[in-house]
Amino acid sequence: MQGPRLHWTRGRIEAGEGDTTLTREWVAYDDAGEPIARVVRILGPIHAGWRSYRAVALDDDARLIELRPSPPDGAGWLACVGGQVVGRAALPLQAVRRAEAALKETA
Amino acid sequence: MTASSLDKIRNIGITAHIDAGKTTTTERILYYTGVSHRIGEVHDGNTTTDYMDQERERGITITSAAVTCEWKDHRINIIDTPGHIDFNIEVNRSLRVLDGAVFIIEGVAGVQPQSETNWRLADRYNVPRIIFINKLDRTGADFYRAFDTLKEKLDIVALPLQLPIGIEDQFLGVVDLVEMKAIVWEGGELGAKFHDEEIPADLAEKAKEYRQTLLDTALSVDDAAMEEYFDKGDVSVETLKRCIKAGTISGAFRPVLCGTAFKNKGVQPLLDAVLDYLPSPVDVPGIAVAAEEGQEESDESERRRIKADPDAPFAGLAFKIINDKYGTLTFVRVYAGTLKSGDTVLNTTREGRERVGRMFQMHADKRAEIKEVSAGDIAAFVGLKDTGTGDTLASADDPVVLERMAFPVPVIDISVEPKTKDSVEKMTIGLQKLAGEDPSLRLKTDQESGQTILSGMGELHLEIIIDRLRREYGVEANIGAPQVAYRETISRPHTEIYTHKKQTGGSGQFAEVKIVFEPLERNGGVVFENQVVGGSVPREYIPAVEKGIKVQADTGVLAGFPTVDFKYTLVDGKYHDVDSSALAFEIAAKACFREGMKKASPIILEPIMDVEVTTPQDHVGDVVGDLNRRRGMIQTQDAAGSTIMVRAHVPLKEMFGYISDLRSMTKGRASFTMQFHHYDPVPRNIADEIMSRSA
Repeated sequence: MQGPRLHWTRGRIEAGEGDTTLTREWVAYDDAGEPIARVVRILGPIHAGWRSYRAVALDDDARLIELRPSPPDGAGWLACVGGQVVGRAALPLQAVRRAEAALKETA
Repeated sequence: MTASSLDKIRNIGITAHIDAGKTTTTERILYYTGVSHRIGEVHDGNTTTDYMDQERERGITITSAAVTCEWKDHRINIIDTPGHIDFNIEVNRSLRVLDGAVFIIEGVAGVQPQSETNWRLADRYNVPRIIFINKLDRTGADFYRAFDTLKEKLDIVALPLQLPIGIEDQFLGVVDLVEMKAIVWEGGELGAKFHDEEIPADLAEKAKEYRQTLLDTALSVDDAAMEEYFDKGDVSVETLKRCIKAGTISGAFRPVLCGTAFKNKGVQPLLDAVLDYLPSPVDVPGIAVAAEEGQEESDESERRRIKADPDAPFAGLAFKIINDKYGTLTFVRVYAGTLKSGDTVLNTTREGRERVGRMFQMHADKRAEIKEVSAGDIAAFVGLKDTGTGDTLASADDPVVLERMAFPVPVIDISVEPKTKDSVEKMTIGLQKLAGEDPSLRLKTDQESGQTILSGMGELHLEIIIDRLRREYGVEANIGAPQVAYRETISRPHTEIYTHKKQTGGSGQFAEVKIVFEPLERNGGVVFENQVVGGSVPREYIPAVEKGIKVQADTGVLAGFPTVDFKYTLVDGKYHDVDSSALAFEIAAKACFREGMKKASPIILEPIMDVEVTTPQDHVGDVVGDLNRRRGMIQTQDAAGSTIMVRAHVPLKEMFGYISDLRSMTKGRASFTMQFHHYDPVPRNIADEIMSRSA
């Protein structure tokens, strides 16, 4: 099995059911310790005030951003490189591979 | 039993569509775990779990049987369930008390109707489950096609843990995607000998691809495992197994294994998977207590749960009753506490006390006496006088009522009478005992003819009951032709006012009710609402109104069938200080129902069956044409190898005797299964026929 080339670590988390936590994002750092890619859990629908957002995700600064158009059903994670969405996937590891593939293409 | 030994128990069920290989798989499990020293075969009529005469003669499972075995220092309590829909109550009650299940799917046909029905039942009870794609040695078997039907028909995330090596008569073993090795069975010794080897070169690439899917899916339920993966580029077998178990219990995905039980390949890894991925009694959140009045049945999150703890007050659920020559055996799943023979417990469902005589661990029809049961156990109690299926037995220290069981509604009736007059009492006792064992069997007396009417789930169900009546109770009975269990309902709202008045001399009777009758959706049941304000109907008479409607609803206004799926709202009424009584209001409610229903556009409903016919390709035209003639609506036609599976919705009325027509039409090459699907209004001409017959 080929290992990942980046240093992926758990990013922001939130409280899950009971004592558990839910990871909202995984962040990839390069050898210099700089964050260069993220995979972000897609959340939604979320109701805020009078508005309803079908799908949202956290941006680099942990602000909620609305995803338009909404991702198709089954796309639970976004792969982001340098603030750009480069792919989406149902599972976090799949999104990680999308992000790594995008980095490889730009390298 | 200690908490540490509780995690070495697995209470599992084996369930599937008819003939998918449940009993065959159970036989291999008993052989490999050393419980039996030979392998019984369904076609030879010598399996352990099919112990009833009828089961051995017909080669089908009729009643669920409990067996216990040991595997790798764990105790596995297994319930082998029937596949035929007519005995679905057995699956229902087994899934209700089990911690996990193995769903066996046929490698040729994939997911079949009964698998779907049982799957939904398991969903209802949140039963963690693993899937075994069986019969891969059969001609036409295709693991990948069967796997696709899991996603298509069950709408699940199915996760292969194995891939087959070879197929049909070339099926040799499996690729284990967790440990990335091949497991190959050697010939002889009934499959007990197998060895590990390198994954065959032609499967290496495919195995790699599926292992990545396994990692992607399994690791997503455990962040620590993800970190391990990012750290090392892979995860340990222990970590992967922990993730698979977590996902299996939460239902995030369903692990899939494969093999052929009949050819003795794949069963030992299945047993390993039962230990590795299905929960022990301490791994599940515990059974919920019953919903309190006003609480939604479906909302379990708010309800207290009883955890598996041998030191807690006793709580158990009676899930099955059988009567044999030694008396009544009540099967109980123990959820908490410890109980010794001779102890007294409360039946909190019926608010009575029960003394437990002897206790047994069951092994199909054989029993071993035990002196004590505790949390996690399944045992049979002797000596319970007034405990029925679904009742809770609990300690007086914590008299909980556990979540109730739901039972299916019978769709077919037959009249039954003893051949000789002196057998009347014996027949009544026999049928009452059989109905006590089987909650899907109902017994009633026709008010007009005085005949005993037996209602069940299908022709086979009732045929077996009559046969058991003869063999076990010595009663020869004449039976009438099967009748469809029609229902009545209304199709538009109507408000009816009825005054019951008898005030001419002597003590009088007076009651007036104003009731709004409204149709509900199918399966809406009968719903009552009281909207009376200002005491126009005094509170003490409201139950009498409810009782009157309930009694009258059993005899519908069109043809005397039970009326269902309607709501009635008592909105107003009048009473008399002296002449009103509960009886007067009950009479008024009955008459109001009779009058009101006639004006609410009543209709007759008939059971529609989900029929699946498996036929060779060259007979598919005849089969479809015949189903159309039977008022069937074709749903799908799918090819599976050289056969076609035709699925249709057909009224039950048109399906009596179908098996002989199908056999003659296809020269005996086609087979079919059917199960109740829904009730639909009958066409006008047939409604007229039914009404004229009942008149």
